Amino acid sequence: MITSEYKQDGNAMLLQVKEVSKAFNYADSKTLQRNAVLRNVSIDIKDGEFVTIVGPSGCGKSTLLNIIAGLERPDSGNILVKGESKTSTDPDRIVIFQEGGLFPWLTVLENVEFGLKLSGVPQEKRRHAASQFVNAVQLSRFADSYIYQLSGGMKQRVAIARALALNPDILLMDEPFAALDVQTRDLLHNQLLQIHEATKKTILFVTHNINEALSLGDRIVVLSPRTGSIKREFAIGLPRPRDVQSPELTVIKRQILKELEEDFQFARRETRTQTIQ
Amino acid sequence: MLEEKHVHKQSSKRSFDVSDAANIALFLAAFAGIWQLVFLLGIWPTYLMPSPAIVVTEIGNLIENNSLSIGIGITVARLAAGFMISLGIGVGVGLAMVKFRGFGKTMSSFAVGLLTFPSIAWVPFAIIFFGFNDFGILFVVVMASVFSVMITTYSSIRNIPPLYLRAARNMGANGFTLFRHVMIPAATPSLILGIRQAWSFAWHALIGAELLITTLYGLGHILMVGREFNHLDTIIATMITIFMIGIIFDRIIFRKIEERVRSRWGLDQHSE
Repeated sequence: MITSEYKQDGNAMLLQVKEVSKAFNYADSKTLQRNAVLRNVSIDIKDGEFVTIVGPSGCGKSTLLNIIAGLERPDSGNILVKGESKTSTDPDRIVIFQEGGLFPWLTVLENVEFGLKLSGVPQEKRRHAASQFVNAVQLSRFADSYIYQLSGGMKQRVAIARALALNPDILLMDEPFAALDVQTRDLLHNQLLQIHEATKKTILFVTHNINEALSLGDRIVVLSPRTGSIKREFAIGLPRPRDVQSPELTVIKRQILKELEEDFQFARRETRTQTIQ
Repeated sequence: MLEEKHVHKQSSKRSFDVSDAANIALFLAAFAGIWQLVFLLGIWPTYLMPSPAIVVTEIGNLIENNSLSIGIGITVARLAAGFMISLGIGVGVGLAMVKFRGFGKTMSSFAVGLLTFPSIAWVPFAIIFFGFNDFGILFVVVMASVFSVMITTYSSIRNIPPLYLRAARNMGANGFTLFRHVMIPAATPSLILGIRQAWSFAWHALIGAELLITTLYGLGHILMVGREFNHLDTIIATMITIFMIGIIFDRIIFRKIEERVRSRWGLDQHSE
C-alpha cells in the first residue's frame, strides 16, 4: 500500500531518514558516559539527487551513513526507501567506504562480480556485466590485477564499479576520496559526476571537505557535532563542473564555515574545561 | 608499468633460486668433507663413526630390501591420517569457538595451555588406553597438533578486518555466503601459517610416538631396530630420511602454498 503510494506521487522521496537518533557508550576514566552523536536527524532525498553531508570529524556522518545502509541500528527513528521501512542491509543501498573495502584475494574483475555472484547471476553473464562496469571506470587494462597492485585512486574506482554493478537505488559514499591527493581527487570528482549524469543514480556523499561538498552536491546538509543534528541546508543550482572560487560558492562556503565555527569554538571550550578539571 | 614489475619479480626470483641451489650444494659438500675428515682421523671406531660412503651404502641397502620405502610409506600415511583428523576436529571446534563466544573464550585458554603441553607426555596414556598400535600413535599425533589448528582457526577468523565483513554484508552476504566467500578467503593467509605450525608439531610427535609405541613398521621403528643392533649407519641413514621428509613437506609443499597466497593477497610488499 505504501509502495503504491510512492509510485502515484511523483514528488515522493526515494530515501527518507526520519527522526534518527543514535548514542554511543564510552567509558570515561571513572564513569560510563553516553554520547549522543545523532539527534532527531531527518533528511529527504529525491530520486536522482546528489546530496552531500558536510561536518567535522566526530559529527556522526559515518554513523548516519551506516544506519542508512542498515549496518547499524538507530536508537530511534527509521529509514524508508521508496516508502518502505528498512532495517537490514540490502544491495539497494551500497556503501563506498573510505578505505574501499575491496577484497585482496580477488582480482579487480572478481571484486566487481562479487555482489552479482551473491545474488546468483550465472558466471558468464556476471563476468560480462562486471567488465562493462570496469570499463566504465576506465580500468579494463587492470581487470585481472590484484588489489595491492592498484593505486589509491584506482582502488576507489574499483569500489565505485563494484557498487554500480549491483544497480543500487542509492550510493552511500563515506568520505571515499579523503585519502587521495588533490589531483586524483579532482579526477575522481569528474568521473563521479559523469557517472551520476549517465546513470542518474541517487548519491548521498559524506565529507569533511567543504570544497568537495560544494563542487559535487545539488544540496549540502551541514551536520553539527555539538547538537548531533542538521544545522542548515543549502541548495546549489549551479551547473557542473563548478568553480569553487566563484562568488556564489564563496558566499555559501563562508556561511558553512560560519555554521561550523560555532561548533569548533564549542569543542575548544570543552577541551579547556577538561584540562582545568 | 605493472607488467614491468611482474617481469622484474620473476627474473629476480629465478636468479635467487640458482644461487640458492649453489649454496646448498656447497654447504652439503663442506659438511660431507668435514665428516669424511673426522672419519679418516680414526678417533672413534667405525661402528661409532661410519663414513659418509658407508651411510650412503646403507641407504642403498635399506632401499633395496624395501624397508625404507615401507617405513616412509607407513610413516607418511600415519602423518597424513593424524594431520587430517587434527584439521577436521581443529577447524570444526575452532569455528564453534567463533560462533559461541563464551565457549571460545574458555576453550582458547584451555587450548593454549595444551599447546605448550609436551606431546610425548601423552604417550603413556596412549599406550595404556589404546595399546601398542596405530591408534595410540595417531592419538599422540592428533593431540600434538589439534590445539594449534583450533587456536589458529579461532584467531584467524576473529582477526578478519571488520571492513571486509561490513562491505560483504552490505552487498547482500550473510550466514553461509559470508562464511564461504569472505571469512574463509580473508582468514587464509593466517590459517596457512598456523596449519604449517600444526604440521610441524604433528611431525615431531609422530616420530617420538613411533619410537616409544613400538609397532612393526615406520621410520621410528627402523631407528629402534638400528639402536638394538648397534647399527649407527642405519640410524644415520634413517635420520637423513626423516630430515628429507621434513624438508620436502615444509620447504616445498607448505612454503609454495604460503608464497602463492601471500603474493596474491599482496602481503609481500615490504620484501620487494
